[in-house]
Amino acid sequence: MFLVRNGEKQVNECSPLPSIAVHGLTGCAGELLVILENLEKLIPYVWVSSFPFAQSRNDDDDRPVDIAFIEGSVSQPHDLARLMKIRAQARWLVAVGNCAVWGCVQRGGCRKEPVDSMLTATYGADSPIQALPSTPLDQHVRVDVKLSGCPINSTQLLAVTASLLRDHLPYITSKPVCLECKLRENACVLIENNLPCLGPITAGGCGALCPTYGAACYGCWGPSEEPQMEAMATILQEKGYALDEVMGRLFAFGAPDELFDRVKRSVPQA
Amino acid sequence: MQRSAVLSKNRFPDFFDLLKEFGAVFAPRRVSQKSFSFKQVDHPSEIAFEALRTILPPKKFFFQQRETIISYDKDGVKEVKPKVAPQVIFGLHPCDLTGLGIMDKIYAADPPDPHYLTRRKATLLVGLSCMPDKHCFCKAMGTDSPTSDYDLFLTDIGDDYFLQIHTAAGQSLIESQSELFGAASEINKQGFKDFWTTRDQAFPSHFESENLPAIMDLEWDNKIWDDLGNRCLSCGNCTPVCPTCYCFDMVDVASLHAQEGERAREWDSCQFVGFAKVAGGTNFRPGPVDRLKFWYRHKLHGFEDPHGLQTCVGCGRCTESCPSGIDDIVNVVLRLQGKPSVLVTDTPKAGGGSSAGGCGSSAGCGAAGGTCGDAHDNSQSGYLQIERRGDDSDA
Repeated sequence: MFLVRNGEKQVNECSPLPSIAVHGLTGCAGELLVILENLEKLIPYVWVSSFPFAQSRNDDDDRPVDIAFIEGSVSQPHDLARLMKIRAQARWLVAVGNCAVWGCVQRGGCRKEPVDSMLTATYGADSPIQALPSTPLDQHVRVDVKLSGCPINSTQLLAVTASLLRDHLPYITSKPVCLECKLRENACVLIENNLPCLGPITAGGCGALCPTYGAACYGCWGPSEEPQMEAMATILQEKGYALDEVMGRLFAFGAPDELFDRVKRSVPQA
Repeated sequence: MQRSAVLSKNRFPDFFDLLKEFGAVFAPRRVSQKSFSFKQVDHPSEIAFEALRTILPPKKFFFQQRETIISYDKDGVKEVKPKVAPQVIFGLHPCDLTGLGIMDKIYAADPPDPHYLTRRKATLLVGLSCMPDKHCFCKAMGTDSPTSDYDLFLTDIGDDYFLQIHTAAGQSLIESQSELFGAASEINKQGFKDFWTTRDQAFPSHFESENLPAIMDLEWDNKIWDDLGNRCLSCGNCTPVCPTCYCFDMVDVASLHAQEGERAREWDSCQFVGFAKVAGGTNFRPGPVDRLKFWYRHKLHGFEDPHGLQTCVGCGRCTESCPSGIDDIVNVVLRLQGKPSVLVTDTPKAGGGSSAGGCGSSAGCGAAGGTCGDAHDNSQSGYLQIERRGDDSDA
């Protein structure tokens, strides 16, 4: 169980400003870098209570904060312990990046191989390292805001922070990449080049970066709202992509199992 | 008022300079092997005269993809005035002109939209004749000749362009350099008539549209909507590319700086699941079948609103930009009318490659060559059986 503190604003003894903390669990630190890059813009408006990634000493401050940003998935027992501690001390918890929101490639990997056999193969049978099947934050604690990305978009980060500082939840849509692609008036790589573009089922926010440069979207921001997985699989298969490959692409960035239930049920197992 | 004139094609560069004197000129430019886009052009050589349809329709010049409507700070709310400069849109085909006419009606209706109308008033519309391809069905929709929504219209009559002059703005542009233009001779007039007669007979795709609203009413429960909707990706591509889709989303963007922010509008799509979701979680159109049918109805029947407009202009953009091939309006209409038709949802890979084919994209199979057939053989069925959607809507 965790302690819900969603009531009063935290008054930090060090500053009259609202306080933030930035933490990383198991991830590539991409979101931490984005937050670091934007720290100068945030500094006038928030007190940074804790940001181990940006500090020279490993100071995991556990004072209460207004906003806790957490990157990374829960992949080790100590990730889980830290997450619980952070949740208990944060008024708003923001999951940043695909790892925290969906579980990203480590979750996709855990679907292919049991985590124990991967652990043994990598570190040996008697390694002290412990691993859990990778999971997103909301499988363990209440998450107030999910800001996906790989990495997250700076503008969205600042907008989310601005909203939370005004005490309202930000409006984050997960309309598909196709919308952003069309707004930029890109030629469609799925239609014109028969590339296996996942834009139709992937949440936008990146500004359709890959298709803008002629590459297929590979789904790194996680699924759009109610993605039409069966239709996507059908269309990619018709374009010559084998179902295994299609499923692999759809799985890669940690989308939840349930999304694939219908696709799997509708396909005769080889 | 002078109603017509003739421009020799080799004087087109001078005509282009004349347009540039009015304002920035936007015309179709090639952006990929198959796609075009209305972009600014500085020289006539940049214009893709062969372009039939651009990725986005010309509505983007007036109803912009994203724009700030108001800004607010601690002292109050301010309307953001649109930045407007005189501009010329060149190369508009009859379907696009009709589309703009429909947008004009929507955005001029009470309360009028100042952003749209201010830009519209600062713009000269110059049309250009075209020859239809297999996706064009403006003739079926009755939008195949320029009627009212243009300043000038150029018809290609061989060595010359036949100019129709429709507005005072168009007239004064012609008069500002009258030596560039000749009076239309009888031969020119005959050339004009011949062009449009030839074009009228050149449509590979057609349907009778008189009974369209009635058909859409009668066939509301046709199984075709389930079949098509279950293939729908809900990617929303069909709406930004439509010359008459006018829906938008509003977002308030707070600033980090206290007591400051702005409200912006951005194109939205009725094909997104969140579009018809309301407070409390109810969704009026929860599944792709509901959403696709809704869109088709707006295009081919019109809403039960004061405009009551059938909003399809037959440009074929949705047909061309739908990744799953379900926006094949011509064949959908023919099917609903009980006439011979071929749809992407027809039994796929019905041995021996029936005309139905199994492939969604019109471009897909041809371009993919042999790989397409190979793929179909990968699984037992060669095709994913899609379960019926809409089960979530029953809940």
